[in-house]
Amino acid sequence: MAKLDNKTFLVCCANGAGTSLMMKMTLEKVLKKLGVKPGRIHHCAISEGKSSASQFNIVFTTVNFAGMMKAAEEKGTVVLGLKNVMSAAEMEQALRNAGLAD
Amino acid sequence: MASVLQTIVEKKHYLFVDKVDSWQEAVRLSAESLVADGSVDADYYQQIVNCIEKYGPYVVFDHYVAMPHSQENASGVHKTGIGFMRVKEEVSFGKDEDGEEKVAKLFFTLAACNPDEHLNNIQQLMGVFCNEELLDALMEANTPEDILAAEIAHPIEED
Repeated sequence: MAKLDNKTFLVCCANGAGTSLMMKMTLEKVLKKLGVKPGRIHHCAISEGKSSASQFNIVFTTVNFAGMMKAAEEKGTVVLGLKNVMSAAEMEQALRNAGLAD
Repeated sequence: MASVLQTIVEKKHYLFVDKVDSWQEAVRLSAESLVADGSVDADYYQQIVNCIEKYGPYVVFDHYVAMPHSQENASGVHKTGIGFMRVKEEVSFGKDEDGEEKVAKLFFTLAACNPDEHLNNIQQLMGVFCNEELLDALMEANTPEDILAAEIAHPIEED
């Protein structure tokens, strides 16, 4: 009964080709470890992410872009900024801090 | 299947330099081996520089690793690949939003036009970037043989 089951995720970086892919892989690792079955994980560039973020439950992005997601946050999307996109530990902690993981 | 490091050596996508004048110069040089065999156009690096100037040094990770890249299907990219460069003297990309200086000695510059190959490259690079002993050994590398030896001495963990 993981809290994150069926939730939709967006991972987002500047170009949507390098860093966001790494973030997506880190996320898949973390969700597997937590035993979560996510609804959908989408990765994209910040230009697209700024407008589509509100369609997702949870958004992961790098710290510098988190501030661009205010509009989505106001609509209830949880926006989590990461310093190290490859750190499963940091990502897991971010989910925990947001009350999304035990 | 060949590992990313083996492919870098096989395709001669490497460069070893002592120092560079700026991070912009570093990005240009890191793409030079990709330019040499027609993987990317000579001005491809400029797109990467523009991106970093616009969004900050987000391509610089921990442990002196930089992964300069543009978007998938960027113009001027003809083959998917990775240009490796080791610089002896650290290259500063300036400070991030927390005021922390971002520095790199190892460059893995991405060119992507085939999504499957690119995904495989990224997946493998994560294994490299998370292996600090391997990164330390690569920072000491001076020849392509050193790259291969580093990988044998510090194998990438699969998970």
